[in-house]
Amino acid sequence: MTTMMSISDMYVRFETPFGLLEAVRGVNLEIPAGASVGIVGESGSGKTVMSRAAMGLLSGSNVRREGKVVFNGRELTAMSKEEVRNQFGTGMAMIFQDPMTALNPVRRVGTQISESLRVRLGMDKKQAMQRSAELLSLVRIPDPEAMLRKFPYQLSGGMRQRVMIAIAISCNPELLFADEPTTALDVTVQAQILQLLSDLRRDLKMSMVLVTHDLGVVANHTDFVAVMYAGEIVEQASTTELFANMKMPYTRALLESIPNIEMKSGARLKVIEGRLPNPVDRPKGCGFVTRCTYAQQKCHDEHPPLVDAGNGHLYRCWYPLGHTIARKQ
Amino acid sequence: MRKRKYTIPTYFAFAWLGLAVFLAIFGSFLPVDGYQVIHGDFIDSPPLTPGHWFGVDSNGYDIFSGIINGARLSVFIAIVSVGLGGAIGALLGITAAYYRGRYDSFINSTFNVVLSVPNLVLALALVAVLATNVDINEAVPTWRRLVTLIISLTVVIIPILGRIARAATLAWSGREFVVAARSMGMRDRDIIKRHIVPNVLPALIAVGFLAVGVVIIAEASLSLLGVGIPDGASWGGMLARGRNDLEYNPHALYIPIIALAFTVISTNHVGDVLRGGLDRREGRL
Repeated sequence: MTTMMSISDMYVRFETPFGLLEAVRGVNLEIPAGASVGIVGESGSGKTVMSRAAMGLLSGSNVRREGKVVFNGRELTAMSKEEVRNQFGTGMAMIFQDPMTALNPVRRVGTQISESLRVRLGMDKKQAMQRSAELLSLVRIPDPEAMLRKFPYQLSGGMRQRVMIAIAISCNPELLFADEPTTALDVTVQAQILQLLSDLRRDLKMSMVLVTHDLGVVANHTDFVAVMYAGEIVEQASTTELFANMKMPYTRALLESIPNIEMKSGARLKVIEGRLPNPVDRPKGCGFVTRCTYAQQKCHDEHPPLVDAGNGHLYRCWYPLGHTIARKQ
Repeated sequence: MRKRKYTIPTYFAFAWLGLAVFLAIFGSFLPVDGYQVIHGDFIDSPPLTPGHWFGVDSNGYDIFSGIINGARLSVFIAIVSVGLGGAIGALLGITAAYYRGRYDSFINSTFNVVLSVPNLVLALALVAVLATNVDINEAVPTWRRLVTLIISLTVVIIPILGRIARAATLAWSGREFVVAARSMGMRDRDIIKRHIVPNVLPALIAVGFLAVGVVIIAEASLSLLGVGIPDGASWGGMLARGRNDLEYNPHALYIPIIALAFTVISTNHVGDVLRGGLDRREGRL
């Protein structure tokens, strides 16, 4: 399998009044062509920043990005701004978390979809509108002609997200980043949107990076998973291997905090106590140590490296699940 | 969509501004005497004199004709200066807020410096510099006075509207749809044109109305000080001409003052209503 995108040693730092904030710390990730890779983590774990940095979408004078991103055999991080811009839309595209803020409130749906067709693919107005209607039916919007004339505020959340997806796939990207595409939607619509994304990925032969905090979503819609915590990848494996053989206490805790329909009514949902370590002043040991049920003295003192269990299953823990010492105590 | 309800003052304000613009455009086609026709028999007639409903001033000029003619100059100057100042201010403000960095610091501090000088002093200084001849005996032609006046008022308006454009752009350019447009490979130029401008424009139009009021007052003040358009053609010019006859001919002053006051109050009110409408819409999104 060829590689669509490979990210190596990526660091993203923000200069803040409180000091240098390290949002992404040494991430290495490969996205195989045609595959769907899930990036999972809680809010603030760096997953969104990581995906935006990979695309080169972070801007601002306070952003420091390090590392190498190779896309389709060409090094994105070495390209000029103009060359990177040429990759957008046709090479890679992104679906954003909140379809309300990611659509311009004062412009019609049709204009917003067709503008990239016109600017990037050089279509004329009529062609672009026709293609926009096709795209809308591709994302299963009924009566696409009428939809073209509507404004975003006239649409429901699910419809807006479909419009966002139509925009993102309008120029046939090879790699699609979906940044929490269903977080702002209710559960029934979530399932439809995720199914739509999976179908589109298959039909249009795209690779996809699915950023989410929901391990359930990852289980159904990805081939590989990377779990992020405090700016680092803490566990990475193929989806089947990860769920069969979980190594990280953090991944387990994430999984356990998903509500289960078989739980007794009124039962308390299991949560991960505590919060992420201060990103400006990282502790020297494991980032998860204060919240981990299995924490030992070593976890406080030494930062665990990412190790390979042998079958491409990477984890970052001194006492992984299934390890005898961890089990005993 | 809910229909907005306007109050009676709002209708009045719109009606008055409509009338002023109408007079500015079609005033010279109306069947009234030219403002410089001297009515010798009616000098100092009070208002409501038949044939001269607004009265006649000490020079024998009919005040009604003066008001109609003055509307043309005052409104024309105001609209041109605000249009020009708004366009330049918006261009500077939007690009400054979009690109940030040193360019933004430079533009923003320039705006602040210009704003720190009182409007009238600034305009007066510009007129004094631009509308003087090397040969003091040679009169400055009227067209040059007019151009100078418009340039000066434009300079006054640029930072007022420029700052509004900058602030609005700062708010909108941080929105996700700008990142989304970038992620589709849109050029900065296209993003500004297609995404920023349509969002910034309503705020600019609302403040633009307030700016029209500012310009009308500034122009009247300059005319009163004697550096406006000569011959007392604008409303401010009528004041300048009438101020010496205040004791025995007060209507030569208060009628143009009423016209000025109504116009400025109307532009302010319309500006406020438009701004209020914007706030409501923002809340619904």
